[in-house]
This record gives sequence, structure tokens and C-alpha cells, in this order.
Amino acid sequence: MAALIRKALSSRPARFWLTAGGIGVAALLVLVLGAAYRSVSSSVAAYVGQPGIDVWVAPGGVDNLMRSSAFLPAHLPESLATIRGVAAADPIVRAYVTVRDEADPSPAGHRLALIAIGYAAPTGGGGPPALVRGRAPLDSTDIALDRAAATRLGVTLGDTVWVNGRAAVVLGLTGGTNLLATQFLFANLSTVDGASGLRGRASFAVVRCTPGVQPAALVGTIRARFPRLSVYPREEFVANNAREVAAGFIPLLTLVAVLGLLAATVLVALLVHAVVEERREDLAVLLALGADARALTGAVIREAVTLAAVGAMLGSAAGLVLRVVLDHVLPVIPLAFRVTDAARILLVFAAAGIGAAAIPVARLRRIDPLEAFRP
Amino acid sequence: MMVLELDRVRRTRGVGPHAVEALRDVSLAVGGGEFVLLEGPSGAGKTTLLAVAAGLLRPTSGDVCLAGRRLPAMSLGECRRHRATRVGFVFQRSNLLPRLTVGENVVLMAVLGGMAREAAKRETTRMLEALGIATLADRYPHELSGGEEQRAAVARALVHGPAIVLADEPTGSLDGVSGRAVAESLGSLAAERGAAVLVATHDVRLRSFASRRVRIVDGRIADSEPDLG
Repeated sequence: MAALIRKALSSRPARFWLTAGGIGVAALLVLVLGAAYRSVSSSVAAYVGQPGIDVWVAPGGVDNLMRSSAFLPAHLPESLATIRGVAAADPIVRAYVTVRDEADPSPAGHRLALIAIGYAAPTGGGGPPALVRGRAPLDSTDIALDRAAATRLGVTLGDTVWVNGRAAVVLGLTGGTNLLATQFLFANLSTVDGASGLRGRASFAVVRCTPGVQPAALVGTIRARFPRLSVYPREEFVANNAREVAAGFIPLLTLVAVLGLLAATVLVALLVHAVVEERREDLAVLLALGADARALTGAVIREAVTLAAVGAMLGSAAGLVLRVVLDHVLPVIPLAFRVTDAARILLVFAAAGIGAAAIPVARLRRIDPLEAFRP
Repeated sequence: MMVLELDRVRRTRGVGPHAVEALRDVSLAVGGGEFVLLEGPSGAGKTTLLAVAAGLLRPTSGDVCLAGRRLPAMSLGECRRHRATRVGFVFQRSNLLPRLTVGENVVLMAVLGGMAREAAKRETTRMLEALGIATLADRYPHELSGGEEQRAAVARALVHGPAIVLADEPTGSLDGVSGRAVAESLGSLAAERGAAVLVATHDVRLRSFASRRVRIVDGRIADSEPDLG
């Protein structure tokens, strides 16, 4: 009987799928924002947390890669290399550079501000975490660009670009280095030094431990030797950078997520309300025939929850498709979805469905079975 | 044996100076197998009487006994269950549920009336065959003509073996031929099953099917007479 009552009170397929689509878009909005945040966060983590770097050494007070302007002396890595337990220590120069496409170097041409990472290429620490195509820089004119940056500039392997006015050839495309607002560029130390005027300085030093040495112990040793520097084990430095990214994203993400949820809740409420209004006569007939009001209430709530859940699933599926499409067509927008995000959205929207059914259900209880007698 | 007895029933709508007496000291008894027409002008209280008889409205005073049980003494839940098992309805419009097929509409009523699902399906098939609409079982209400819809409504009203069928202008929206066919089906099938039929109507064509006519005016029974056909 319950199945027949549910069918009797179900919405028309077109209305159901349109509304589920609307809820799906709201779910997609929340998911995309979450995925974009996660992608930026994971890109930062992919770089600063890459294998081969056990300890990050930064100027005093600097605790992240993203926002720092202090510098280290360029010879610091040589001093670090003399410490027992250090297998290798390399300098990194991090500078913001302007990159132009050679084909159109005019002010109106493609122009990007990128985070340039100068490192002791090709074997030094702090290079690209992953190469999608091509190779890492070797000569002073070689650069490796984030794949999304290359797309934005309209360049590919072998093309020449201008980095702060100096010619460089794109010889590698990197992945996991897209911070959405900007991307990474990797080059030789001398290239970034020359382009940024930071000769004789380093932004960070990255240290690799000798086998058997615990990074935490090495951190203690370096801190004791250089008390005015900031020294972090890799995991702590990753966490610092993740916090820095989150500080900018989380408030906006939370706001949009709440708005998306509200929009979905209102959609569910509207549909269920419409079902009750549209089915008012049918509900009156069912009540007159002797159907239990609780069974009708259950059917209405179930419809609302089903709608919200289907909408959330549609949104999640669309998110996965969008990720694949964007990755191929517009890698500038990176999306890193997690199944747990989709599951969380599903639960929250299902709960919203129950909440949204409250008003229509209250109205349902006021329907007079005598309405069935009205011509 | 009487399946419906109304004893000095009064039903008042509203309060104070706006109070309207829809039923005034109505007493009526309908026996099993009877086909009773309830006639009277619009606003006379016919539909109110049907609603009170079904337990959808409580009388302000007086007593209602339906299929051996006093409705005013029942809780709302008991009244609902008693109505589901002992009463069948035919409304002016068929009021079939549009999202269900004809067969599902009838099965739903049978199940509401207490039948197990399989028995409900069997009885539905039998009832639709008896009414000549078995081929329409899988159609939706909007695919039927008015007459077919009302015959499906008759099937729904009788499928669970009610003690009485309460019909409100069942032929009001039908042409003469269809209306006659519906009334004939309702009368003959109810009689076969020993169910009483109480029909509120303006349709004088139904007099030929009635065993008795009751006239109601301004909420009172004006006269009651056996129909002469």
C-alpha cells in the first residue's frame, strides 16, 4: 500500500527532474568550490611536501612559501651541508615574475604573473614535483611551466616566452602546481636571480637528511646552530602552507556553501509544497477513502528526501564530469573532488529535504477530506 | 438489517450569529441491498448528510450507526479504519488518483479496505471484468472517457465489499447514456453484494433504479417514499 500511496503522490517526471537538476546545480556549486580549495591546497602541499625535501629552512619569522619577503644569504646551504646528518642542502629563490608570450610581447598580449621557483637545476631539491610533458630545466634559458599557465599563455613545449623581459624556452610542463590565482614556473637559480635581481640571496634552503637521521632531530640541530632562522620539518611546513591557503578560501567557501544549501532547501520546499498543493484533491480523496494521514505524511517526506538525494547525486556526477572536461579543455581551473565531499553533500541535502518537507506536511494535515466532494 | 441509521442528527456549521444548521433532526435508516436516492435542491444538506454518514463529519447532536457501530463513540482513527473497510465512495467527478492506473486505483482501495495484496489484485480483476472495463486496467485516468472513469470509480467503491456505497452526484458530469450505464452498474453490483447504496442527486433519471427516494430541504427530511419506478 505504501508503494501505491507514494506513486499516487509522486511529482510528474518532468517537474521532478527539473527540480532535481536545480538541486544538483546547488550541490555542484558547493562541490566545485570545495574541490577548487582542495586543489589549491594540494598543489601547495605537492610542492612543499615533495619527497627529497625533509627540512625547510626559512628566514626568521617566515613560516610559509606563499607569503614571505625576507631572504637568506645565498651561501647558507653550504653551511647547512656541513652539519652532521645533512645529505644535501640547496637554495631556492622564490619570486613573482611577469611572463609574456613571445608571439605578442605588447602590453595587450598574453601576460601572466607567476611564482618563479629558482633551484639548483637539474639535480637540486625544490624542483617541479611532477612533469606532465618535457623535461626539467638545465640551461639558464630553460624553464618548466605549470600546464595551466602554458594554456593561459597559449604556449607549448619549445616556445619562447619572456620572463621579466628575458627570453626563456619552455622545455617542461608541470602538474600539481596550479594555485588557481597563479601558477608555478621552475627555472635555474641563475635565471630567477637574473630575472628578479635577487642575486646573492635565497628565499629558502631545502635539506635532505642522510639515511637513518630523523628530520625532527635534524631540525633541532639546525635550530641550535642557526637560532635566528625558522626551521621546519616537511610536514609542519606543509601544514603551515595549507593554513595560509585556507585562510583566504574558507570564509568564502563557507558562505557559498551555506547559500547553496539554502537554495537547495528552498527548491526542495517549493517542490514538495507544489506536490501537496497539486495533489490536494488526491490527498482529500485518500483521506476520505480511509488512508492514514501518517502514511501520506511519510510519502511526502520520502518524496522530498528522494528529490534532495537525487539532486545531490546528480550534482556529484556532474562535478566528476566537469573535472574531467576542465582537465582537458581548461586546466586553469583545477578541481580535486573527494568521495567524502559528495557523501557529505548527500547527507546534508537529504536532511535539508526532511526540513523542507516540514511546512508542506503541516499543510497536509490541514486538508479536509470533504474537499473530495467538491465538484 | 440496517447498515446505516441516523437518529435525530443535527449538524451545525459556524458559531454564534453565523451558525448555520446544515442538518436538522435528520433520522434515516438504510437497509442492506437498498438503493436510496437522496434528493433536494443545492444547499439542502445532501452532501453534509453523506459526510456525517461516512464519519467524515461528527454530528453536533444525535447518533449515527454505520454497519453496526456507533460513529460518535469512535476515535478518529477507529472511524477512519471503519470507513475504509465498510464504506465505498463515488464522487461527482471520478476522483481517481491520476498518477495511478485504473487497476492500481482499485487495488489501493481494496488494500485500504483490509485485503491482502494478492487478494486485492484478484478482486480488482473480477470487479473490472464485471463492469466491462478489464481492458482498461493499465490505463491512466486521463486516457479514459467520463463514463469509463465513473465505472472505474464504481469498481473502486465496491472492490473491498463495503456495507454501503455513498455516492454524491455520480452521474452529474455524464451524458444520459453513460449516466444510465453507471447507475445500472452501481445498482446491480451493489445488490449482488448485499451493499446498500445512498445516492445524493439531482438526476431524475436515476429514479428508475431506486428502491426508495428521500427528499431533503433546508437540512430536514421533507418526505420519504418508495420509488414507483
